[in-house]
Amino acid sequence: MEFSFNGKSVFVPTDVIAGWLSVLIITPIVLYIIIKNRYWSTILDYTTTTNHRKIGTLYILFSMLFFLRAGVDALFMRTQLLTPENEFWVFQGEKYNELFTTHGTMMIFFVATPILIGLMNVAVPLQIGANDLAFPYLNLVGFYLFLTGGTIFFLAFFFNAAPNMGWTAYAPLSTDSYTPGPNNNFYIFGLQVSGLGTIFAAINMMATIIRLRAPGLTLSRMPLFPWATLITSFLILIAFPVLAIALLLLQFDRLYDATFFLGELGHPVYWQHLFWIFGHPEVYIIALPAFGIFSDIISNFSRKNVFGYTSMVISLTLIGLLALMVWVHHMFTVGLGAFSNTFFAITSMLIAVPTGIKVFNWLFTMRRGVISMKAPMMFALGFIPTFVMGGVTGVMLSSAAADMQFHDSYFVVAHLHYVIIGSTILAAFAAIYYWYPIMTGKILDDTLGKWHFWLFLIGFHLTFFLQHLAGLDGMPRRVYEYTQEDGVWSYNFISSIGAYLMAVSMLFFLWNIIKTHRSGAKAGDDPWDGRTLEWSVPSPPPEHPFERMPVIDRRDMFWWSKINNKPLPVAKNPRPSPIARRTFQPMFLAGSLFILSFGFIYGWVWVQILGGILSLSTFVIRAFSDERTEAYKREEEENEQ
Amino acid sequence: MKKLLPVLIMLFLTGCNVRTLNPVSETGADQAFLIKLSFGIMMFVVAVVCVLFIIFTVKYHENDLNRKDIPKHEEGSRVLEILWTTIPFVLLAILAVPTVMYTFQASNTEAGSEDTLHVDVIAEQWNWTFAYENGKETHKELVLPVDREVVLHLKSTDVIHSFWVPRLIGKRDTIPGEENELKVTPDQTGTYQGKCAEFCGLGHTDMRFDTEVIPAEEFEEWLSEEK
Ligand SMILES: [Cu+2]
Ligand SMILES: [Cu+2]
Repeated sequence: MEFSFNGKSVFVPTDVIAGWLSVLIITPIVLYIIIKNRYWSTILDYTTTTNHRKIGTLYILFSMLFFLRAGVDALFMRTQLLTPENEFWVFQGEKYNELFTTHGTMMIFFVATPILIGLMNVAVPLQIGANDLAFPYLNLVGFYLFLTGGTIFFLAFFFNAAPNMGWTAYAPLSTDSYTPGPNNNFYIFGLQVSGLGTIFAAINMMATIIRLRAPGLTLSRMPLFPWATLITSFLILIAFPVLAIALLLLQFDRLYDATFFLGELGHPVYWQHLFWIFGHPEVYIIALPAFGIFSDIISNFSRKNVFGYTSMVISLTLIGLLALMVWVHHMFTVGLGAFSNTFFAITSMLIAVPTGIKVFNWLFTMRRGVISMKAPMMFALGFIPTFVMGGVTGVMLSSAAADMQFHDSYFVVAHLHYVIIGSTILAAFAAIYYWYPIMTGKILDDTLGKWHFWLFLIGFHLTFFLQHLAGLDGMPRRVYEYTQEDGVWSYNFISSIGAYLMAVSMLFFLWNIIKTHRSGAKAGDDPWDGRTLEWSVPSPPPEHPFERMPVIDRRDMFWWSKINNKPLPVAKNPRPSPIARRTFQPMFLAGSLFILSFGFIYGWVWVQILGGILSLSTFVIRAFSDERTEAYKREEEENEQ
Repeated sequence: MKKLLPVLIMLFLTGCNVRTLNPVSETGADQAFLIKLSFGIMMFVVAVVCVLFIIFTVKYHENDLNRKDIPKHEEGSRVLEILWTTIPFVLLAILAVPTVMYTFQASNTEAGSEDTLHVDVIAEQWNWTFAYENGKETHKELVLPVDREVVLHLKSTDVIHSFWVPRLIGKRDTIPGEENELKVTPDQTGTYQGKCAEFCGLGHTDMRFDTEVIPAEEFEEWLSEEK
């Protein structure tokens, strides 16, 4: 649409106008709801507290919002691909490229990763008997960095500048020679800011799990979700700095005419190495916590301990190690030579072994158990065959010579969605149903949960199963149309129908949440007859739920104390532990980084300087303030009395 | 439903003429063989998992009889765990051997004889150029003689693209500042779709071409024709 503004005419595409219009409609509605229900104090409470459960809830909430946004992008793509040579709205060419770039980037960085970090925040401290994370302030900073990065990336579309180089940002397409303009700068700064937050979260989780476990809860007695969190944190600490470096180099190429990834001195393949040295571990960063969640849920709802606990832990570790040495399987067609291709083909195949061990252990956890088909367990049950199907196509892809056919085709699209939705997204849903009582004190409706599950699962398989065949039939990924004679029409048509079905299933989920908050019953303590420590405290847990530390002498201690009708023994002395406090500083830092990023994205030097000064001043403020002083003072006074 | 899936997949694979599985060259056939082999092995794995999955969920489903039961504690099973650690190794070995073989074969692109045809394939945003040794150039179609070895020299003048003719051979990227090669001998005449497989910007979708494989005499004639 053409507008005339100050005598100049400005072109604004209709999808961007629609985006702004929807903001104009939604904002007053949200404001109305907040004012009507007097949510202000709750909002203030959640946005400034350092309490792990509340931060975790925020992580999950915003990841879910980003999930809806990226999901809408997917629906647009599927509609564009509904029929041969279709022309849906504006989504051909550039606009389509923006769609799949936004969809991919958002789903990986602002949905899959943070939603799991949110779940870790909610559950891990309670599962190991800790009162909070080791560094509560850092935790809030991490959350705000994620939110800032996500918002920067989210906003790109509203300025008609959505990134358009694919979520893998392959150089030299991603350099300013081929994609000038602010678009792809949004990608760099969105990821850079949120990536830093992810690193903070990982450090925090490590310190918490290593230092703050309840007495007697040795690593070998720890539930598998904290275990997965621990190993994931190590992976994050290795992988995310590599991404940060790659983004920084790309930033120099784009903004300051450096030539790391093109020209005489640079090389485009450097980017691919850096990106995948980060990118492959990232796959396991979002898969391992999902494995941990499913281990806990399957054990809980089969009323049985995890089968082969030791081999579960060992295979988690092995997957983590192997994840670091398989990145070239994304680059089999680059021409790195037969030796490197076969080496990485074999290491990639090897991952199937520990993964297979886990699958069979899950199956045998259910054997001789009593399987209760509640919503969280339904998602876990859906996960097993779905994920196995994604896993086996992964092995097929690892066969380097065959990958020359699979690579960059819809076969890969199908595979990655089977793996990521199959593990991460199903795990996130399972965990939300499972830990909802801990987050809110209420329990989600089981029937609606099952509707959500079945529609989602059926929609998912409809969407992605046939894409394997479209790929084998020669359909490359990232194309906005296909012809009649390509012969992939039926696959694409059914695929789009499946995507709509998944969208419908999400309505059931949203309705479930709204309904639960309007009239839902209080969950009560221990609603699932749990096995692990998070169920030994009231739902929702008070701050400092483990004022008296439980003493652990076996796995699933809480379960055994219930069976034997003995209360959990508690330690004599309370353990000094972090205190949840209120602080506006992280919010201030977020605002500063937001300004700084926009300065760089649009090349406004004065805004860069302003943002830089504001960001650095946060360090100064932080250096001279400690939000815990008050609590310490109170403690000292109490001791003196 | 889960049981039916493998059957359905087989139906689809044999029922439709899926391009990558109907290759018109030996290298393409090797790759198709690997796809089918890995598919077969993997379907075995999927079948085992699905059967166990169905048995366990049906048999140990919560019902009125077992609702109050407390299942026995079970640490694990040495035998079972050794079993599902070693069997995957065997299955993977079956796949690994031909994978290594064919990967080495596919990356040997040295011309077999004097008679080998050399074609320069130059990718640019968003166009292909096929340059023959005698200076002849085409854009929308790559013409090749049947049953004669050809080495394709893949280059790019701007961003990374990827040369892919699904029925002929798997893809290989064209990278600026670098030359990649593909060696293939088409063994059936016909016209086959060619595509750019690596996302390369605005016109990526339209970066298509046709590969025409024609009899040798016709090819010589075509090559000497002035354009
Ligand atoms: Cu990978
Ligand atoms: Cu392309």
